[in-house]
Order: sequence, then structure tokens, then C-alpha cells
Amino acid sequence: MSGLFPNAFHVARREYLIRVRGRAFIITTALIAVAVIAIMLVPTILGAAGVADPVRIGVAVETDDFDTDPVATIQTLLIAAGNPNGEPGAGGDEDDLPEVTRVTDAAAAADDVREEELDALLTITRDDEGSLAFEYLGSASPTNQTRLLVTQAASALAIGDRLERSGISEEEVARIFEPPSFTAVPVDPDDARDADDFGGAFILAYALVILTFMAILTYGNWVAQSVAEEKSGRVMELLITAATPRQLLTGKVLGTGAAGLSQYIVIIAALVIGLIASGPVAEALGTAGQAPIQMPDLNPAMLMPFGAFFLFGFLLYATLYAAAGSMVSRIEDVQQAVGPLLFLSMAGYFASFAALNDPDAQWVGVLSLVPFFSPYLMPARMLLTTVSPAEVVIAIALLLLAVAAAIWIASRVYSAGVLMYGQKVGIRTILRATRVSR
Amino acid sequence: MSLIVDSITKRFGDVVALDAVSFSVEPGRIFGLLGANRAGKTTSMRIVLDILRADSGRVTWQGVGNTALPRRTWAYLPEERGLYPRMKVGEQLRFFAALYGVPDTRAQAEIGDWLERFRIPEYLDRKMEELSKGNQQKIQFIAAIIHDPDVLIMDEPFSGLDPVNVRLLKEAFGEMRDRGKTLIFSTHQMETVEELCESIAIVDRGRVVVSGLVRDVKRDMGRQVVRLATDGDGHNVEWLADLPGVTVTSQREDFVELGMPAGSDPEHILRAALDRGDRVTRFEIAEPSLEEIFVEHVGHRAVTDDEEHLATTGREANR
Repeated sequence: MSGLFPNAFHVARREYLIRVRGRAFIITTALIAVAVIAIMLVPTILGAAGVADPVRIGVAVETDDFDTDPVATIQTLLIAAGNPNGEPGAGGDEDDLPEVTRVTDAAAAADDVREEELDALLTITRDDEGSLAFEYLGSASPTNQTRLLVTQAASALAIGDRLERSGISEEEVARIFEPPSFTAVPVDPDDARDADDFGGAFILAYALVILTFMAILTYGNWVAQSVAEEKSGRVMELLITAATPRQLLTGKVLGTGAAGLSQYIVIIAALVIGLIASGPVAEALGTAGQAPIQMPDLNPAMLMPFGAFFLFGFLLYATLYAAAGSMVSRIEDVQQAVGPLLFLSMAGYFASFAALNDPDAQWVGVLSLVPFFSPYLMPARMLLTTVSPAEVVIAIALLLLAVAAAIWIASRVYSAGVLMYGQKVGIRTILRATRVSR
Repeated sequence: MSLIVDSITKRFGDVVALDAVSFSVEPGRIFGLLGANRAGKTTSMRIVLDILRADSGRVTWQGVGNTALPRRTWAYLPEERGLYPRMKVGEQLRFFAALYGVPDTRAQAEIGDWLERFRIPEYLDRKMEELSKGNQQKIQFIAAIIHDPDVLIMDEPFSGLDPVNVRLLKEAFGEMRDRGKTLIFSTHQMETVEELCESIAIVDRGRVVVSGLVRDVKRDMGRQVVRLATDGDGHNVEWLADLPGVTVTSQREDFVELGMPAGSDPEHILRAALDRGDRVTRFEIAEPSLEEIFVEHVGHRAVTDDEEHLATTGREANR
């Protein structure tokens, strides 16, 4: 039997060129790239277009026994609520600050709210027992941001009012409302969940899991589809005469993988363009200053294992997808044949979402070493918690072993499968067939 | 040293697809593999090509086992044709040449030559799916032999071709033989076999029933054939059947075919015809045709669909 190359290379090259030259590939890739850039820029543009308009609230005060101006108090409270870190200036421009105005004509103000000149109208009265009562005219949605803020401000105002009425001095009230000292101490000081980058790490972990899943699903399907096409188009008999099943299988997986990777590179390039562009675009639109998501420090030592998990994970699944594709005679049957693989990769996918919420759980640790799941779980764990290098090495070694085993099994299934026409796909058929093939 | 197929047996589940099939082909000769549908021709070919492995028996070419031979020894034209429909003819052929290790420059020269020979040089940059079926078949043939193999194995190479293309392909066969190639092909067209093949094997239900040089096969039938046409009543053949040792094997509008044991004198048939006062317009002494031989060996029964199905999907049979 001849070696893997150069025939695997010839097969891969053909597969790659046919794929990337195809109209479907070009259009899909372009659409995804445009969509990615759009998604990255839309929040900035929308922000400029009005969402970031300062909140405008009219306050009708129908009781005038306040020592301090309740309108100013509400404004202060709203500004504080909108900027919980208390960092001066981080809240953006002066224009972005909530605008709270006292209204005298409540009916006219209510009309303004209806015509969206005002975001809300807050009417302050006193009930029979002397407590402050509030009526809020605006979006009734309980999750509406303005309503939430105003509710907070109103309750703070009411509490302050009650305190003052019980004879507590103004200074003391101010002291009561002082935020407490609150420090979050990480369990593990080296924990990746650093105050600054945890949000970014979480998003990155999600993104990695989704990218891995999409690659396996989409490009795995390409592999299966393309094998089934060769079989149903009867090119297979010529191919199998010219090259060995292992050469064909390897070439197919590598060629399709390379095409998939090309698409990914375009998508990632679009992401980067979107990231870079969002700054200038925001500036041009006058909404700069909104703190971008802080990405965790990514060093090559971390990126290498990510790349390894992605590539080997893809190889593992794609090899088996090729075997699955070789077992059917018609392209319509491909979906049925890849069913078990789809199930397996879905299981890994969903497990990793559970793991993202609890990356320290024991089952996550164990599962992140298991070949079919490690491409999802290990990178996520590495981002969200501390993983010893030994574990990473073991996971990669196991994954590589699994890839080797998959190539061995798949090329046997493949060599038997490619000449079976018109038969039902079944484990027993395949097992029997692998015994008789070369 | 020839191609020797030595007692290969192949089972698919309970179905015996090949039962100790043996034949040999001399180098530089054209060999016909004949048999009804599902007789085992394709399976035999696949085993010779080492696409399938036999349960027992062996195949050697020039003394070397087929599993040890490089892939480029062989050319294979499968019965079910198919290439990449959306790939250009030239790219496609270069791809197959590359798989066989042919340098690209040589491949391009060969492709040009063959397209010229098949009178379709203008299709080099056309997609396969744009070509007519006949032209696709010619491309398929080129794809199979682009690497200058020693042994060409062709499953029904003439099926679906119009007479002009059949002629072109036959010429190509002759040329390959003259270059010293060994050709094995299967077909149902006995006339083609008579025209091209020096030796044959007839396979029936996985067994070789006859094999050898065509002229030996014919002689071994032990009878000769006389074709007679007269200006008398062609439909009245009773007087012929009454002649000693003579049987009427076929009664056609243009002549009557008679069979008689080898070695007996056919001239008494001519004498009897002349004695009747008829004018003899055709009197021909011949060997039995391959078609007769074929029908005699395998035509004793029609293959049922059920058996066909078992033979195709043999692996499934013992589920």
C-alpha cells in the first residue's frame, strides 16, 4: 500500500478549489462577513441614533413641603444609578446625563409623554398618612430601564423623606445613603476571573464553543455530502482504483477543512474589522467613550492549545463524517447517516453551556479530557478557570489518539462503504463490510 | 508472463458471488469476459483490481500478486460511468493523472492527444455536465487510461455509444493492444467479442463455464454450422430436418442455419438442395457463433430479479 502523500494532497487540493470557487461558498462567506460587521456596528449606530439620548423625565410635585428640591434629588439619584461604579466622567458626555425637569402643567406633560417628547412623567403626592406617593406615566414594562431607574430613585426619595420626618438631620440622611464599602475577593487569587476581563473571557469562551460547534456541524456535513456525491455520481469507482481509501479520506477531510478554515479566516477578519471600525464609527457619530468590552490577555501559550483543540476536534468529527457519507448511496440519505455524529456533537455543545456556568464542577473536569467533548469543554475551562498544563496535555494527547483511531476505523468503513450501493445503513452491515475490505 | 486469475472465491454473506473463478490472459492480447447480468463479471474485475479482496484464490500479473502491484498498473472503466459533473474536462483528467503520479506536463500532452484522437479537442475547458453522454464516455475512457497502464479492465465499454463512437473506441482498443497493453473487457455484444477478442471466458452464476482461445472454444463445441439460402420456399425446412445428422438451429428471413456434428460432410446438404431444383444463393460452412455458444452455456434459464437482487446486495443477504 502506498503512502498518504502526494495523493491525499491532490485530493485535498481538488476539494479545496472546487469548494472555494463555488458560487455558494463565495456568497455565503460574503454574507456572513457583512452580517458580522453589521452586528458589530449596529449597537454603536443605534446608540448614536437615539437609544443613548439622555433620559428626559418630567416631575410634577403636587406637595410643597420639601426641604430640598425633590427634582434635583431625583436627578442626582438617576445619575448615580446610571453610573454604578461611581467613576467620574465614565458616564460619558454631559449630554448623556438624565434630564429631570419640574413641570407645572401635568396634563401638558402627560401629552408630551404620549408624543414621546418626554420619556416619563412622575407625579409626586402625599397620601393621607403623609407618606410620599408616586405615579409614573411611561412605559409600563417592568423591565423598562427608565422605569427601573425612576423606581429606585422614588424609593430612595421616599425613604429619605420618612427619615427626615422622623427627625433625622439632613447630614445624617446623607450619611445613611452613603454606599457601603464592598470588595469582591476571588477564591483563587490567580483565578482567570479577573475583575477586568471576566466578561470578555466569558464571551470568548462562548464564542469558541459556538465556533467549534459550527465548524464541526457545517464542515463535517460538507465532508459527508461530498463523499456521498462522489459515490452517487459514481466517480468513486475511478477514485478508488487510482488511490487508496486512506488517501481519499484524508485528502477529503483536509481539503474541506482548509476551505472551512478559509471561511473562518474571512469571518474573523470581519470581526476584527468590525472591532477596529466601531471606535472611529462611534467617534464619528459622537457616541465615543462607551467602555468597550475588555478582552482577556491572550498569549500564544493559550492560543496554541485553542488552535489544537479546534483543529483536532474538527479532524476527529470530519473523519467520521466522511465514513458516514460513504455508507449511503444517495445524497438525501446523508442526514440520516450523520445522525449519531450530530447527536454526539450536540451533546458536547450543550454540555459546554452547562460547563460555562460552573467551570469548576467535577464532571466538567472529567468530560474536558474525553476526546469527543474536550474540543468544546477544555478551551472554555481554560478561559474561565485554572487548568493545570498537565490536564491540557493529556486532553490533547487523548484527542490525537482518538483522531488516529477515527482515521483507522473510518478508512475501513469508507473502503467497504464506497462500493456498497442500494443498501440500508446499519452498524451490522458496516461491521461485516469492514471485514471483507482491503 | 500473463495475468493469472487463480481460483478466486468471493462470498457476500450467504451468496457465493464467485466460485473458484480461474482464467488467464496473455500480455498484449484482448480478452472478453462474458456472462449474463450478475454472473460475477464486475466482482471478478474488482478483485483483479484489488478494490475488493477475494475470500480465497489469488491474482498475479507477470508473477507478482495484485496486492503488491502499484495502482498505475491498472486502468479501470467501471460499468456505471461518472466523473465530477461540475469540473472542467481538462482539470478533471489532470486530477486523475496526478493521482496516478503522472507529471502534469506529460498529462497535459496526453490529454491533448487523446481529445484530438476522439475528435473533441474543443471540450478541454468545458464542464463535464455540458457534454453529451457519448462524449462523457470518451472522457471517462481517457480518465481511465491517462496514466499509460499495463492492463486495461473495462466493464461494458461500448454500452451507450453510437456506432461512430463505438468505432473510435474499437480503434483505440486496437492501438492500445499494438502498444503492448493487455485488455480485458466485458460486453453483451458478441459481434464485438468476435471482432476483437483472441480469448474469452464465459461466467455463469459465479463459475467459469468456458474459457480459452475463441477458436478453441468454437472447435470444442463439437459441431459446425451451415447457412443456406435458396430461391425456394424459405419457410419450408422440413426436408432439411429430415437429412441425417442435421438440425435446424435458426430459421431467418435471409437464411436458414443448420447445425451438424463436427467432422461430418456438409456437402450433402448442398447436394440435397440442388436435387430439389432450387437455386442456391448462399451456402456457408462456419463455426458456431459466440452468441450460440453463449446462449447454449448460460441461456438455459433467465435470471430472476430475485437472484439479481441477491447478487447485487449480497452483503445484506444474511441479515
